[in-house]
Amino acid sequence: MSETLLEIRGLTVEFDVPAGRLPAVAGVDLSLRRGEILALVGESGSGKSALSMSLVGLNRGPRAHIGGEVLFGGRDLVAADEKELRGVRGRDIAVVFQDALAALNPTQRVGDQVAEMIRTHRKVPKRQARERAVELLGEVGIGNPAQAARAYPHQLSGGMRQRVMIAIGLANDPAVLIADEPTTALDVTIQSQVLRLLKRLQADHGTAIVLITHDLGVVAEVADRVAVMYAGRIIESGTRDEVLFHPQHPYTMGLLSSVPRVDGPAVARLPAIAGSPLTGVARPKGCAFAPRCAFAHAACGDAIPQLQQRYGGQAHLDRCVLERSRETLAVTP
Amino acid sequence: MRLVLKRLAAVPVVLLVLSTMVFAAIRLLPGSPATGLAAGGASGTATAADITANTEKINAALGLDKPLLSQYWSFLSDIVHLDLGSSFYGGNDITGLLGDTLPATIELTVAAMLIAVLIGMLTGILAALRRGTWIDTATRTIGTVSFSLPWFALGVLSIVVFGVWLRWLPVIGRLPNALDYHPLTNFVLLDAILQDRPELIWPWLEHLILPATTLALSMAGFITRIVRASVLEVLGDDFVRTARMKGLSPAAILRRHVLRNSSLPIVTVLGLQFGSLLGGSVITETVFSYPGVGNLLVNGILQRDYPIVQGAALAIALLFTLVNVFVDLLYLALDPRLRKA
Repeated sequence: MSETLLEIRGLTVEFDVPAGRLPAVAGVDLSLRRGEILALVGESGSGKSALSMSLVGLNRGPRAHIGGEVLFGGRDLVAADEKELRGVRGRDIAVVFQDALAALNPTQRVGDQVAEMIRTHRKVPKRQARERAVELLGEVGIGNPAQAARAYPHQLSGGMRQRVMIAIGLANDPAVLIADEPTTALDVTIQSQVLRLLKRLQADHGTAIVLITHDLGVVAEVADRVAVMYAGRIIESGTRDEVLFHPQHPYTMGLLSSVPRVDGPAVARLPAIAGSPLTGVARPKGCAFAPRCAFAHAACGDAIPQLQQRYGGQAHLDRCVLERSRETLAVTP
Repeated sequence: MRLVLKRLAAVPVVLLVLSTMVFAAIRLLPGSPATGLAAGGASGTATAADITANTEKINAALGLDKPLLSQYWSFLSDIVHLDLGSSFYGGNDITGLLGDTLPATIELTVAAMLIAVLIGMLTGILAALRRGTWIDTATRTIGTVSFSLPWFALGVLSIVVFGVWLRWLPVIGRLPNALDYHPLTNFVLLDAILQDRPELIWPWLEHLILPATTLALSMAGFITRIVRASVLEVLGDDFVRTARMKGLSPAAILRRHVLRNSSLPIVTVLGLQFGSLLGGSVITETVFSYPGVGNLLVNGILQRDYPIVQGAALAIALLFTLVNVFVDLLYLALDPRLRKA
């Protein structure tokens, strides 16, 4: 579990927008270990998708500026050219996208879309790739996979489409699977089925999964480790239990207290974090969360706090300057 | 499927409305067939009294002295019996005339369509892929210019340049008069195959190139714009990102994912543009003295030859309607989402 598979160093992603340069990812260090599920948590615009798409260069373009390093298998994927990246995409690192209906080609049979993934990286006859596609569809829990393979995306249910998307992701048995909000578009019951499927596949294949989500319930259900993002930076990271049960950063605390709990006190209205996340081009000199933080004081505006081990366990890092003891400031979720 | 059946069911209605309009419109034009005929053609020796007497005789002979409603009724009942009547001049059977000219027009418009689609698709895709560069700007500018050029201007210009100055291509007709051609289907290419006469093909193509290109150019400019817009739209779709995620090359993404999905709006426009292509063929055929339905129609109008105008207009309308039914079928082939019900 401890072998590092992919290491992100000082990753920055900036986009040219009419107002200037938008810092979507403002310097992220993160490592992914073989076979783990790492949850990347944050609100919309926190940079979690920009971060994960830049791992395989899917957000490259004339308006994107990507810096830093993504070390994988002895090479830097940020510096790699498109041709080299094409060999990594879909074979070593695959992505399961959020809205499967939009992410699947509406005019191609789903079996062919799975087979295409196989044939892009392996020289196998079409027939063999198709047979393998049917197997994969069965493996992700689609009943009657042979029939489903001949269907077009619109003929399948939302849950089935997401399973097809996962089958595409797994087609070449990648080392890393990036799951970008894979359950957001689904019903609650289907959500947990899909999550259990991901968990099972991770166990069976040893695939490391980067799970992007804003849903802490999802994190609690499947994640091994958690990284919380705010305004393009990781503000807290650690094991699932550390982050969910002993949050250190006021933002994480706020996120957790805004989740409804079955065993908590009945409240008329869930607490919310005041204000809205930073989405503009301009960023404060100090802590990006300070303007919304209930505990903010003058020192918070001085400089961006370091991501460091403070009060939690060995690998439990957070990015806050607040001096406190857990006894006095326990805003336990 | 239901969509197509619906469209097919509408064809007779469209034709009825159209034939009524043509029937009325041609009779609203000043002058009548009889006045032309009664004047004795070009000799001009007839007196006023002669002309009046002749006019009555001719009107009676052609059935034009009957009330308009009864003329209309017999016109309609003839159509139902697939009898389009015969020309006031020379008495040629209209169905036969259309049998000769319609294949020529279909050849011309289909050739023009093929050229336009080829040019339009290539330039449109190129402009979309090189969006924002000088290639994009140049392609779009040329496209706009070509689709603003009137057909007759382009036709006359190409006759002067390629026919008169350069003498590269023939500019009149469909085949050389000296050529020994015994039409079977009246489609030259088809006849060349059926009669095993490959030597027919080159003279035919030679005559087709200029009028077809003239007709194609303005449409190509239009297709360029549509193709560019729809390719750009599809390039932004999520499934294109999925294709990139799979590790496909840009060429494979274009071929397997972008083109098919951007073809729907293109096909729609092609179907509708075929109508203006038919309109353009009337002018182009006249400029190039090309023996098609358009040429027949123009001569019919000039001579107030009612049955010819009615027959030619009906033939053009039928062609247009059938092309659009074909476009509907193409939809179903291209987009499985439309195949429900």
